[in-house]
Amino acid sequence: MKIFAGSANKPLAENIAKKLNISVSPLEIHIFPDDEKRVRVLESVLDEDCVVVQPTSSPVDANYMELFFIVDALKRSGARSVTAVIPYLGYQRQDHIFREGEAVSFSVIVKTLEAVGVDKVITFDLHTIRALEMFKISVVHLSALSLFTEKIKHLGRWPRHNFEDVGGDSSEVNVKERVLVSPDMGGIRRIKILSEMLAPNRNGEGLTGMPYATIVKNRNLATGEITVSEIQGELAKTAIIVDDMIAGGNTVVTAVGALRQRGVEQIFVFATHAVFSQNAPVLLQEALIEKVYVTDTIEIPEGKMFEKLEVLSVAGIIAENL
Amino acid sequence: MNDFLLMTGKSNSKLAHAIGKILKKEVSEPISVFSDGEIRVRIESNMRRRHVYIIQPTAPRPNDAIMELLLMIDAAKRGSASEIIAIIPYFGYSRQDRKEMSRVPISASLVASMIEYAGANRILTVDIHSEQEEGFVKIPWDNIYASYTLLPEIKKRKLANLVVASPDKGGVVRATGYARLLAAEGIAIVYKERDLNINDTSKALSMVGDVEGKNVLLTDDMLSTGGTLLSAADFIKSRGAKSVRAAVTHGLFSDEALDKVDKSTVDEIIVTDTMMLREEVVKHPKTTVVSVAPLLSSAIEHIESGESLSHDLILKPSETQ
Repeated sequence: MKIFAGSANKPLAENIAKKLNISVSPLEIHIFPDDEKRVRVLESVLDEDCVVVQPTSSPVDANYMELFFIVDALKRSGARSVTAVIPYLGYQRQDHIFREGEAVSFSVIVKTLEAVGVDKVITFDLHTIRALEMFKISVVHLSALSLFTEKIKHLGRWPRHNFEDVGGDSSEVNVKERVLVSPDMGGIRRIKILSEMLAPNRNGEGLTGMPYATIVKNRNLATGEITVSEIQGELAKTAIIVDDMIAGGNTVVTAVGALRQRGVEQIFVFATHAVFSQNAPVLLQEALIEKVYVTDTIEIPEGKMFEKLEVLSVAGIIAENL
Repeated sequence: MNDFLLMTGKSNSKLAHAIGKILKKEVSEPISVFSDGEIRVRIESNMRRRHVYIIQPTAPRPNDAIMELLLMIDAAKRGSASEIIAIIPYFGYSRQDRKEMSRVPISASLVASMIEYAGANRILTVDIHSEQEEGFVKIPWDNIYASYTLLPEIKKRKLANLVVASPDKGGVVRATGYARLLAAEGIAIVYKERDLNINDTSKALSMVGDVEGKNVLLTDDMLSTGGTLLSAADFIKSRGAKSVRAAVTHGLFSDEALDKVDKSTVDEIIVTDTMMLREEVVKHPKTTVVSVAPLLSSAIEHIESGESLSHDLILKPSETQ
């Protein structure tokens, strides 16, 4: 097996390779002055099973085109199979026609992946599992939730932050005083799975998972403005917001506002994909949040790191599935 | 000719609107961009059973421009357009049309296939880098020539003792064609060497043909960083040419191309607007821009009326006699 790294997330490719005790195979990606790219595979791949690691986060189009070119080069050079590890699948939210006259952008992407000869796609925490239905090739849909459960189990030992409005004591948080929160209706499935994964004792009587609540919000399609209409489910002192991705950060900020308004004292945020568009890092750092956990499906540039952020690695999960 | 639609992405809306003006049609711009950089398309007009012409050169920002094109094609297809015509005046990645080294993709073929898979029924290009690319897809691909646009402008110069030159051996056929169409005295060929490992640099070495005291017209399909064309121009000047002009279809003007134009002894560069030209290119004292809008408008009219494109529009510079 040979692993190749596109330019979108080289550290992740390195980490996956390390877990497999191999090294990343050399690939030349030249960018011409007019922004066209030329890809070149630098060692023989004849009859090899090849893996290309390339999340299609921003710049999404350049990352997709680069992936297509790499796959094309591998296939034309005789690779036996090509597995595309696309931990974050760009355009996945455009998976149906919202309003007449629109494209189904994600289907164009899927068709192209299939046409260039990708044999298998490995991805993480899709926004909706409906996206899977578009593929004819096999898709391994993995989740970072197992990484999150480990962290959440140990959150109890997290000392309270020095927020003046909650008194600033550093006592441990009672497990029963926690609730998982989905910031929107679309995340219910995810939050239910996580709740079950966090059931205190799967063999005994304590089969009920961690309590959960869902924020019901309205998005104004014209202005993009989000408002909270209600929260379904009982809240607790500590809320753990779980989402598939953080883009502009407004969903989280809106959720934090609604939770604090209703008396929640301590908030943790977990999200798989750190899209971090616009000034999300600033919004998150300044929000009344203890800590934000994301994964390395998308490489986070130095400038988008912030104090409250902790990055968990999905490299091990990917390596196990290769 | 009644009911067809014109639309364009973000890469050269100016050209699209110029075509719309000639054809007296509205040009819609259905592309918007989300904050994370993902493109969204929404076409508001009814497309059912109509021909949809999408005008979108795939440069600058080739990757975004290609994606915009694909998404517009998808939206048109889902809107039940009866025929989707992708007008790609400049076709990005067209230079990666073969395996010039081992283990490289054939990127031009891949891009062409993507356009086909997305649902285009026809491709129309202007001066594609190599005509064999038309074979990359199974749908019809018409390539028309900017000579239709450039020749009248060149003829206005009334250049006596004209010699048409090619800046490299690959352009000899084009230069020969222009020489014939302009009734030139002769042709000249500059030989250059290109180092594949450095990718973009090239330098002129020597030439065949007599240019002393002549007015020389260099022809090429594109000006990228300008290295090839301008070193050829300087070389020709150093061999005693009276004047050196260049007629170029696609003006990428990448990197320091304009600085090179400044420093070069080239007298004029006549270029078309197949791709959006930056303001400083348009305003540069040595450039003259001629629009391919009349050519493309006429091509659309021919497609709509079912007339032959080659009969009226193709002044094919590669046809030698």
